[in-house]
Amino acid sequence: MNTVLPTTIPAYLAQLRKSLEGADAAMIQDALYDAEEYLRAELAANPGKTEAQVIADVAGSYGAPEEVADIYRDTEVTVQTALRPPRPVKKADAEPSLLQKIFGVFIDSRTYGALFYMLLSLATGIFYFTWTVTGAGLSLGLSILIIGLPFIVLFVGATRVLALVEGRLVEVMLGERMPRRPLYSDAELPLLKRIWSMFTDARTWGTFLYFLLMLPLGIAYFTIAVTGLSTSLALMFGPLVSLFNDNVMVINLSGEDIVSNEPWLIPIVMLGGLAVLLLTMHVARLIGRMHGLIAKNLLVKS
Amino acid sequence: MEDDPLLRKFQKELSAGTVSLALLAVVADAPAPMYGYQIAKSLEGLGGGVLAGKQSALYPVLRNLEAAGLLESFIEPSDSGPPRRYYRATVTGRATLARWAEAWRATRDSVDHVLKGNFE
Repeated sequence: MNTVLPTTIPAYLAQLRKSLEGADAAMIQDALYDAEEYLRAELAANPGKTEAQVIADVAGSYGAPEEVADIYRDTEVTVQTALRPPRPVKKADAEPSLLQKIFGVFIDSRTYGALFYMLLSLATGIFYFTWTVTGAGLSLGLSILIIGLPFIVLFVGATRVLALVEGRLVEVMLGERMPRRPLYSDAELPLLKRIWSMFTDARTWGTFLYFLLMLPLGIAYFTIAVTGLSTSLALMFGPLVSLFNDNVMVINLSGEDIVSNEPWLIPIVMLGGLAVLLLTMHVARLIGRMHGLIAKNLLVKS
Repeated sequence: MEDDPLLRKFQKELSAGTVSLALLAVVADAPAPMYGYQIAKSLEGLGGGVLAGKQSALYPVLRNLEAAGLLESFIEPSDSGPPRRYYRATVTGRATLARWAEAWRATRDSVDHVLKGNFE
C-alpha cells in the first residue's frame, strides 16, 4: 500500500485512522492520540518549517501512517505478551476437559474482577444515572438563560471524561481493552466547531445511553452477586455453624432444623450451596464478558 | 531500507525486551519527567539496531511500562497541541531497571563471547 504522504496533521491522522480500520477501536483512539502528540511537538520544535515539511520528516522518524498502523498492530500484541505475567501454559490438547470447564471458573481472575464490578456497579450505576438525569435536566432548564449554553457544553465535556474513567474500570475489572487516552479532537478547528463535533459524535450519545442503562444494570448485577454469594455461602456453612450454635438453624420446607432432625441432609445442603456458588461464579464471568461488550459498543465504537 | 524478512523477524524479536529496557533507562536517568516526543528524540541518532526503528513503536511500550507499574505518568497542558503525558520512573521501575540492566549485560557479554568464537 503506497499512498501519497499527507500534508496536514488532520490529513495524517485521517490516513492513520483509515489504515487502522478494523482494528480494536480503543487501540485506534490511543494511536491517534500518540501520533498527534508527536506531530504537534515536532511542529513546535521546528518553527521555521511548514506542516508538510514536518510531516515529511516525521514519516522518516515516526513513520508514515501505514507504517505506524502496522507497528501498533504488532507492538500491542508483542509488548503485552512480553510485559504481562505469562498465562498458565495450556496443555497440547487445547480443549479443556469438562471438569476444567466447570471448576476453572474458581481460578479465573476475570471471575473475581467481574464479581467486584457487579458489586461496585450499584454505586457507579446510581451515580452515572443521577449525573445524566441531573445534567440533562439542568441543561434543558437553563437553556432559556444565558448560562445555559456553557453549562451544556461543560456537562457534555465532563460526561466524555467520565466515559474514559468508566472505560478504565471496565478494562481493569472485566478485561475488555478500552481507550487509555481521551478522544482525539482537532485543535486546528475553531472552538465552536470542536464543541459542535462533540454533539454530532455518536459516542457522546452512546455514553448517555450507557450511563442511563447503568442504573437498571447495576441494580441487577448487584442483586445477582449478593443473592448468589449469600445464598451459596449460607447453604455451605450454615449446617456447620448450626452444629455448634443453637441460635443458627437450617430450616427445611417443613420448618424443622435439619441438623437435629435429619442430619443426613447436611452434606446434601452443603453440596447444593457449592452448586449455587459455582453457578454464581459462571454467571458473574458471563455477565462480565457481556458487559465488556456493551461498554465497548456504547462508549468506544463510533 | 533493508527488506530481508529474516532480519526483520530477528529485529522484531530482539526489540521486544530491549526497547522496554532502553525506555525505562532513559526515563529513570532523566532529571525531570519527560513526555513521549522528548523520549523518542533522545533515542534518535544513537546509531543502528532496534532502537533506530520507527519512533511510533515507543508509545505503546511506554503505556505498557506504565501499566506494569514501572513508570508513572501525569498530564500537563501544552500550548502546541493536546495535553502532554509526562512519564517518570517509579521506585519499582528503578529497582527493575537495575535487574534488567544486569540481565542485559550478562546476555550481551555472553552473546559477544559466543560470536567471537570463544567456546572455552
